[in-house]
Amino acid sequence: MLEQIPIFLQALLDQTGAIHFSFGNLIMIIIGSIMIYLAIAKHYEPLLLVGIGFSCIVANVPGPPDDVPGGQAISALLYAVKDGGLFHYAYMGVEKLIIPPLIFLGVGAMTDFGPMIANPRLVILGAGAHLGIFVALILAKVLGFTLSEAGAIGLIGGADGPMAIFVAVKLAPHLLGPISVAAYSYMALMPMIQPPVMRLLTTKAERQIPMAQSRKVSKLEKIAFPVVIAIIVNLFFPPVAPLITMLMLGNLLKEVGVTDRLSKTAAGGLMNVIIIILTVAIGSTMAADKFLTFQTLEIVVLGLIAFLFGTGSGVVTAKIMNLFLKVKINPLIGSAGIASVPIAARVSHIVAYQENPNNLLIYHAMGPNLAGVFGTAISGGILLALLGAN
Amino acid sequence: MTAIVPDTLQGALIVSVIDFFLSFVIISGIGVVLALFPLLNRVAQFRSRMQPAGAGTHAKRVAAERKLAPLDRGGDEPTDEDIAAIAAAVLVVLDGAPHRILHIEPSPRSGWAAAGRVAHHASHTPSLPKP
Repeated sequence: MLEQIPIFLQALLDQTGAIHFSFGNLIMIIIGSIMIYLAIAKHYEPLLLVGIGFSCIVANVPGPPDDVPGGQAISALLYAVKDGGLFHYAYMGVEKLIIPPLIFLGVGAMTDFGPMIANPRLVILGAGAHLGIFVALILAKVLGFTLSEAGAIGLIGGADGPMAIFVAVKLAPHLLGPISVAAYSYMALMPMIQPPVMRLLTTKAERQIPMAQSRKVSKLEKIAFPVVIAIIVNLFFPPVAPLITMLMLGNLLKEVGVTDRLSKTAAGGLMNVIIIILTVAIGSTMAADKFLTFQTLEIVVLGLIAFLFGTGSGVVTAKIMNLFLKVKINPLIGSAGIASVPIAARVSHIVAYQENPNNLLIYHAMGPNLAGVFGTAISGGILLALLGAN
Repeated sequence: MTAIVPDTLQGALIVSVIDFFLSFVIISGIGVVLALFPLLNRVAQFRSRMQPAGAGTHAKRVAAERKLAPLDRGGDEPTDEDIAAIAAAVLVVLDGAPHRILHIEPSPRSGWAAAGRVAHHASHTPSLPKP
């Protein structure tokens, strides 16, 4: 009898995932913990990084050995819900492109497009700041990715999480995990990434250029805007119609003034629910065996390159515009053409404020920042049209 | 839908150039459309000027009527005694709580008369006997 006790204990141990815990799992748990630390201690995009970090940790807790395909254990999380359940369908929501349009609905309901309407000439910066997408695309191709994969990777430089996910699902669904993690992580780190590039490409005098107050935008204009833009963008870029439609619908609900409960729901409760589901879905893809690969490292580095070049190209575009403008624009708002709303605009404002406390650029920077959303949508739409979906 | 660009470095360059150029073109087009938006305000102003003098929303009409004909009750503006009585009534209703009366004016409807009628009619309402 006593000699059977070790056998029983061994059988119990075999039923746990502990024996399959690997060094890679440990690294990913540390990465997940760092994300949570950055969210809590540094306030870097806490709404996203807490959920992604926690899901990353849980996704790297291995499951029991009964479900070991080819010798590798899947996570306990996926083991528990492999035939359905919340986490399975959360990922389905991303894969079937249900969640990204709903995020855009909430974004539209929270966004005031007044700065973009008030300064039409600044929308050019929303295109100029997207050079980073194509630099990353070309470099990805040089590194050996397929053209579709390179297109999905390049769009990280658009700094638009839902759009990056949308294009990745269509062009390179197997890279959804690293692409979405890179996109959201770099968006959170923008206050660290952008300022050095902005200061490098501008002189002190340029950084101190003041900008006059913009004109007031009427309610009629704000109501007409989503209708007009939805028609134009959907007409030319049907592949991104679901995202743009929901973005503009959310904005219309906000601006008409007679659907307050709908706009509050879209911007509030619904958005919060979708963010929770999205972060869980993204984090659950960060299992060590799939995430800790050289390919992931390449994607992360390419994403950083895309952001750096995008920041620089936005600033340079503003400087080129100043060659032709009588009333100069502060080139720092050029970097806000990266679509990360409102982080990039806030970074432009803070850098300018540090140079001149009387220069409050946030409203001006929001113009190109919002235009960048459409710039990313347009770039993504063209990529989908040219590269197709296999 | 299949890809129409070759999966080569040259294809990547072609896609990038076309995409970047078209982005500028489309975004510029959006900028041109936005530059026309102030015309919407002019159209709205033009329409409001073209409306007949007597027309307008109900609220505008009421405000205009109030401006043209302030409440005419044959000199029935509140007297000092009326104001004192109203202030005393407010004090009783608020049970002595600190307050400040900002404005008193005659009402276009006789709420007191209506309240009095309701109280009078209700006093004759038949009620079921209590068990």
